[in-house]
Amino acid sequence: MSFLTPLFLLGGLAIAAPILYHLIRRSTRERTIFSSLMFLQPSPPRISKRHRLEHILLLLLRCAALALLALGFARPFLKDFSLADPGATQPRRIALLLDVSASMRREGLWPAARTRAEAIVRRAAPTDQLALFTYDRSATPLLTLDEWNRTAPGDRVALALSRLATTAPGWGGSQLGNALITTAESLAENETNREPGQPSTADGPREIFVVSDLQAGSRVETLQAYEWPKDVAIHLESVTASRPTNAGLQLVAESADANRALDAAVRVRVTNAPDSQRERFQVGWSKSADAADWIGTPLEAYVPPGQSRVFAIPVPKDTAGLRHLALAGDDEGFDNVVHLIPPQPRQAEVLWLGADAGGDPQQPLFFLRRAFTDTPRLAIKVTARDASAPLSASDLESAGLVFVADPVPPAMAEALREHAREGGIVVALPRGSAAANSLGRLLGREGVTVQPVQPDSYAMLAEIDFRHPLFAPFADPRYNDFTKIHIWNYRRLGPEPLPGARVIARFDGGDPAMLELPVGNGRIFVLLTGWQPADSQLAVSSKFVPLVWSLLELGGGIAPQLTQFFVGDPVPLPPEHGFTAVRMPAGTTTPLAASASEFAQTVQPGIYELAGSQPQLFAVNLDVTEGRTGPLDRDELAGLGVPLARPAAEAAPAPAAATLRQGAEAENRQKLWRWFIAATLAVLLIETALAGRAARATLRMKEATP
Amino acid sequence: MEIPVPPVASSSSLASAALIDPQALMTIRSLELRARAVVEGFWNGLHRSPYHGFSVEFTEYRQYTTGDDPRYLDWRVFARSDRYFIKKYEDETNLRCHLLVDHSRSMDYGTTGYTKGQYASTLAATFAYFLHLQGDAAGLLTFDETVREYLPARHRPGHLRQLMLALETPTAGRATDLNAPIERISALIRKRGVVALISDFLAPLDRLERNLTALTAGGHEVIIFQVLDPAELTFGLGQPSLFEDAESARTLYIDPGLARTSYLEKFEHHCAALRAISRKLGISHHQLPTTQPLELALFEFLQQRIKRGRQVRRARGATGAGA
Repeated sequence: MSFLTPLFLLGGLAIAAPILYHLIRRSTRERTIFSSLMFLQPSPPRISKRHRLEHILLLLLRCAALALLALGFARPFLKDFSLADPGATQPRRIALLLDVSASMRREGLWPAARTRAEAIVRRAAPTDQLALFTYDRSATPLLTLDEWNRTAPGDRVALALSRLATTAPGWGGSQLGNALITTAESLAENETNREPGQPSTADGPREIFVVSDLQAGSRVETLQAYEWPKDVAIHLESVTASRPTNAGLQLVAESADANRALDAAVRVRVTNAPDSQRERFQVGWSKSADAADWIGTPLEAYVPPGQSRVFAIPVPKDTAGLRHLALAGDDEGFDNVVHLIPPQPRQAEVLWLGADAGGDPQQPLFFLRRAFTDTPRLAIKVTARDASAPLSASDLESAGLVFVADPVPPAMAEALREHAREGGIVVALPRGSAAANSLGRLLGREGVTVQPVQPDSYAMLAEIDFRHPLFAPFADPRYNDFTKIHIWNYRRLGPEPLPGARVIARFDGGDPAMLELPVGNGRIFVLLTGWQPADSQLAVSSKFVPLVWSLLELGGGIAPQLTQFFVGDPVPLPPEHGFTAVRMPAGTTTPLAASASEFAQTVQPGIYELAGSQPQLFAVNLDVTEGRTGPLDRDELAGLGVPLARPAAEAAPAPAAATLRQGAEAENRQKLWRWFIAATLAVLLIETALAGRAARATLRMKEATP
Repeated sequence: MEIPVPPVASSSSLASAALIDPQALMTIRSLELRARAVVEGFWNGLHRSPYHGFSVEFTEYRQYTTGDDPRYLDWRVFARSDRYFIKKYEDETNLRCHLLVDHSRSMDYGTTGYTKGQYASTLAATFAYFLHLQGDAAGLLTFDETVREYLPARHRPGHLRQLMLALETPTAGRATDLNAPIERISALIRKRGVVALISDFLAPLDRLERNLTALTAGGHEVIIFQVLDPAELTFGLGQPSLFEDAESARTLYIDPGLARTSYLEKFEHHCAALRAISRKLGISHHQLPTTQPLELALFEFLQQRIKRGRQVRRARGATGAGA
């Protein structure tokens, strides 16, 4: 038997007290009154041998109680360390999670991480099962448990080391939370392909070793709601960069304001690490995609450690070749360059088929031209053509939106239908009964009639379908009041209802005001009133401009340009993109299938080029959080419920400390002290009973002898 | 004024007389009866009748002269003889004795079946009764740490009774202060007399000598009776136990076997100091174990009186011769 706190055994010396008490004959209960004590001195206690013999049993009980109490407090345990340390015999399941995110490119980190990972692999016992994972945005298996089990035991470590040798840090951001969840779940899977005779690891402890720089930018929020399996312990093996000064550069997200000038300053955020030793940097346009090679004079940026500041970098007059913004002045260069494709000015075309004079304020075209004014990023060309003049295929192809204001010949009606079928938007504006035939052909319906209606006073728009994309921008109660638009003239369309058409707005009299007829990939709208003053107040209302822009948007004329991505982001491709390959930043070319809907190999930051008939550029940058290289707070992980094991320094204690720990565990399991305390109480009860009986006997004896 | 001295027998004749055992005496409840038993037994044991010559004060008549207080005229003699005679009061010639009795708690101690306090009271009552019979005036002062009761020395009917009652008052005080009663009595007594101090004297003797000096210097005759229990003299108390001080209630664990030698040594030293004070001041000191018959104490008292009387007579004779 051993003791966890053997010093308490010294308490056993208290046994001397009852022995002395029994030896001392001192009838303290007897009192003698004496006239004066002025001539007396207190006598020393006298020892009597006779007394010890009288109460020998009581003495033994009292000594036993004290001894048991001392033994209980010394926390005894039986040495049985084979039971005490289940990890010593039970095979473990180990997952090694190696960080290959961009921040591991910092100087000195990767060799240290490799060394640490190899040491963990070598420490694995032959009965253990080991899996290797790398992680940046997600965990990627490098060596699965199956592969480990399939390999001969003697070759396993060598295999794992060879797999480790093939890895290198990439450019992805650190999603530590996701990676931990993936790894934990892979460990929790049922063991398969276990060799006969090999001990099962199903009930053994599971350990995840994370070898990483554990930067502050590691995203761990996903762990918030994750319920960890039992018996999983996570060891954090952090490696530290030799040079702490690092500042990161990020583009500040631009607002989707189409009116913003293209030559406005570009805003960047410079983030300085908390342990940086410098706070002055230079930011500016760079010719090189790898390091600062300034175009013009860079901006001096002052950012104190642990803070971030936003700077506006002015765009020079000559914007050609402006694709990289760089930062200089820190130690680590992996996050010092951002790549940028400046948005290009685009052009949209609106085709007006009608005989209106553009300068007449009584005609609808007058208002349409003014509604479609150019913006810095979008130039809109409104082309008015006579409805009877023949149209070429290219005219229609370039048109994002077609207005049909006058009756068109049958061939043109068919061409417009074909245009709509291919995804175009055609808006028919029948102005009188004469337009009925032309409209019928355009809509592909027989017997279409158009009848002018002049309400007694005026009509209003009612029953508007705000779920329709055209009216969706007005759905908010602040904007959905159309009653101020008075309508003096409108047309009634027959037959009612028109087959296949969807009424998206009606007049207050119940007649349809606007219909939508889907045709192929596109659609044809019929607006049964005009916006010019002769017909209604629509053109002078606040609803007119958003309405016609919505029509243009539906036609795809002003689709947003996607030119900025992060490493690992898939780049969506239009359905019939016509791109054949992707030119990577490194200069290599990756072929692209015609049916591919996205391009996913954005593995490094830089400018990518989609090669094809109309080449398109896009920029890929580092994850914005990857530049936050300050250390991650372990308490934050613990607060998220991550079952962290003790740090390595504590986990490998000195032999004496290890023995003590094993002893503490054994004692905690056996809890022998409880039995000793119970025995003490039992002995004290017996002692109390015996002492009481003896006292009563003495009392009776005294009473009997006067 | 001459102090009357009774005729007494010698100590040998007293020893041969049948003395009353104090144990038997204390069984008598009444203090007065106890005193009477002692005094009458004392007298009976004497060869000569104590009534003869014990009329200590000779009543004298003298012819009335002008200026005498007419209150003191003896009208009965005038009726018989038709002459004016002045009666000389007994009072003028009588002995005044003050008994200072210790009533502290330490006097409550006793291992003989009665306490030192009872013995001391009986002794004082005996003296008082004896003096009363002689027509002398007896006064009483009881004390513990303070003066408790004081009865001036008188000889009148009822006084003895009062005195007995005061003596029977139970002890109350917690400590013994020998100085307070002596100082008080020095202040109270104008006429010279006898002062008998009855106590166990188990208290510090620091200021005792000075106070006694003041008393003797005032012409008083002081007699000390130190009443002690036999256990106090021998400390033969068997078992070790917690000893509690009768006065202060302080407790000490004492093993009498071990403590005896030291106790006796200190006790003897204390008594020797008391004797030394007495000797120095010419005070007679009598140590009375409570087992000693009271007659012997009375005898010693009277012996002392005789001795004192002779000394006085001798002193007067010497003075007269010289003159």
